[in-house]
Amino acid sequence: MNRRRFLQLSAFGVTASAVSLGSGPAQVTPQELLDLLGPETVRGLGRRYREMVPAADLLSATTSRGSISRRIRDDFARGRTVVVGGWVLSLTEARQCALFSLLPA
Amino acid sequence: MHIDARTLPDGSLLEGDVCIVGAGAAGISLALEWAASSRTVLLLEGGGFQYEPAMQDLYRGAIVGLPYYPLQAARLHQFGGTTGHWAGFCSTLDPIDFEKREWVSHSGWPLRQGELDPFYARAQSLLELGPDEYAAADWQRRDPTMVPLPVDPRVMWTKMWQFSPPTRFGTRYRNAIVDAPNIHLYTHANVCELEANEAVRAIDGLRIRTLDGKEHRARARVYVLACCSIQNARLLLASNRRARGGLGNVYDNVGRFFMEHIEMPCGHLALAPSHSRYMRMYALELGTTKARGEMALSAAVQRERRILNGTVSLEPGSLDETAKSTFEWGTPTMLDSLRAWGERGNPGAPPATSPGPAQAPRFFHLLTRLEQAPNPRSRVMLGDEGDALGMPRAMLDWRLTDLERRSFRAIYEVVGRELGRIGAGRVQVLDWVRGEGAWPRNLSGGWHHMGTTRMHVSPREGVVDPNCRVHDLANLYVAGASVYPTAGAANPTLTLVAMVLRLSDHLKSKLS
Repeated sequence: MNRRRFLQLSAFGVTASAVSLGSGPAQVTPQELLDLLGPETVRGLGRRYREMVPAADLLSATTSRGSISRRIRDDFARGRTVVVGGWVLSLTEARQCALFSLLPA
Repeated sequence: MHIDARTLPDGSLLEGDVCIVGAGAAGISLALEWAASSRTVLLLEGGGFQYEPAMQDLYRGAIVGLPYYPLQAARLHQFGGTTGHWAGFCSTLDPIDFEKREWVSHSGWPLRQGELDPFYARAQSLLELGPDEYAAADWQRRDPTMVPLPVDPRVMWTKMWQFSPPTRFGTRYRNAIVDAPNIHLYTHANVCELEANEAVRAIDGLRIRTLDGKEHRARARVYVLACCSIQNARLLLASNRRARGGLGNVYDNVGRFFMEHIEMPCGHLALAPSHSRYMRMYALELGTTKARGEMALSAAVQRERRILNGTVSLEPGSLDETAKSTFEWGTPTMLDSLRAWGERGNPGAPPATSPGPAQAPRFFHLLTRLEQAPNPRSRVMLGDEGDALGMPRAMLDWRLTDLERRSFRAIYEVVGRELGRIGAGRVQVLDWVRGEGAWPRNLSGGWHHMGTTRMHVSPREGVVDPNCRVHDLANLYVAGASVYPTAGAANPTLTLVAMVLRLSDHLKSKLS
């Protein structure tokens, strides 16, 4: 995690738990969605998701270990999905979107 | 042999062994089966060989339920019938379509599993299709670039479709019909009434009218109605001289259970570049593509979710636009263009088809064709207005249920999850699919009319028996999609022709 990203996330109080558990910036970067939809759409989805769920729930995106992509696949396989802006997203990546939307564009 | 009924002396009597009412895909397929036989076949067609507005107007009718397409534009009233403007989509029904599903009222066909298979094989050639193969693996073997998405077969599968050129029965089989000495084709011969005997146990004859005021009669050993779901029901209901509610209608089933395929844009797919190579399997260029796949839910998931059968097709597009529904795209003007294209021999690309897909499209529209649940309240009735021949016009009351809405939602929940699981991309679902209120304004069918003379072993539950004979009428049969107890997810034409070939074998056995 570079310093700039660390400071940005710290401002929202989400990095302490992530860093303490050894998580990196991938935890708050929904890379697959960014590749598919681009940052503007992903930020919009993140904002919408933040309106849908309590802030505390978002932190769980940064507090689990293991491969993010594997967790996302596992979410889809187990039906842990949420519809945001019409998109069927895994819970993990929806939380990623929410955190990503807190970053300055 | 061809005779224009307008040229006959008024009051003529036409006689044969088998009398077929209607010369569309069903009527022509049936007549061709008898071309080399010793039986005389009367083939009665209300229209002529060309499109005639006055003939189309006989199909005009009232819409009193959900909004629907103009009835006079949804069907062609001429030799060849609606194959004059169809697009050629063909696929078989799935095994689950024949089953009694406890969550789908009135479901279940009175046919054995696989009973239609040999007739499907025979129907392939009539519709000028490829090999009788509808497994994705078969097509992948023929063309290794056609690779189905690696979905979990317990959840989803790739349902294969084949595309007829499309066969215009009116041109493709005109000579075969006209040149057959034992087939007596009468054009401009509109059947206005089926005349039952006094006991209402059999048909004695048919009354035929022409727009220039002549009236003829036809008499045969057996009669087959083959003039499409709305007109089959209309004719039975209007033949009420000896039976107040019309013929075959002791239990008030005629005209009920009208079904369509609900054809709607439902969402988008943002495709992962890693999965672009699978898209060849799902691509369609009308006029060129011989076969393609559509995504479908497994029978196990349909059972688990208690939903209807349906498919999801992919069409390159952008996220900024919503694809048009079938009725939005296929305006009456567009259908007319398709008909004219067919009359010219289907040269080049069909009218108004989109240009070929981009090299590697990233976004796709997701379009669904969903079966409609059999619903006795969705029905064809007789209206108060009469047509130019004095027949009451049809009145359509198209109705859908919550099961269709719930099925759309469930399909996209499953597809969204499964495509996400395999990393194929992400699915966006349109608001109306996720909602529970009224149907959207672009609600659309596929011009697939089915079910108005449904098949059932019991006359209390259906109009025709498993041999397509109208219950309690010894010599009256029905051919076409009006006999379908359920619609399945496949377009009706291939199954319709297969069912006609099965009926033909039955009639040959009966008359021999």
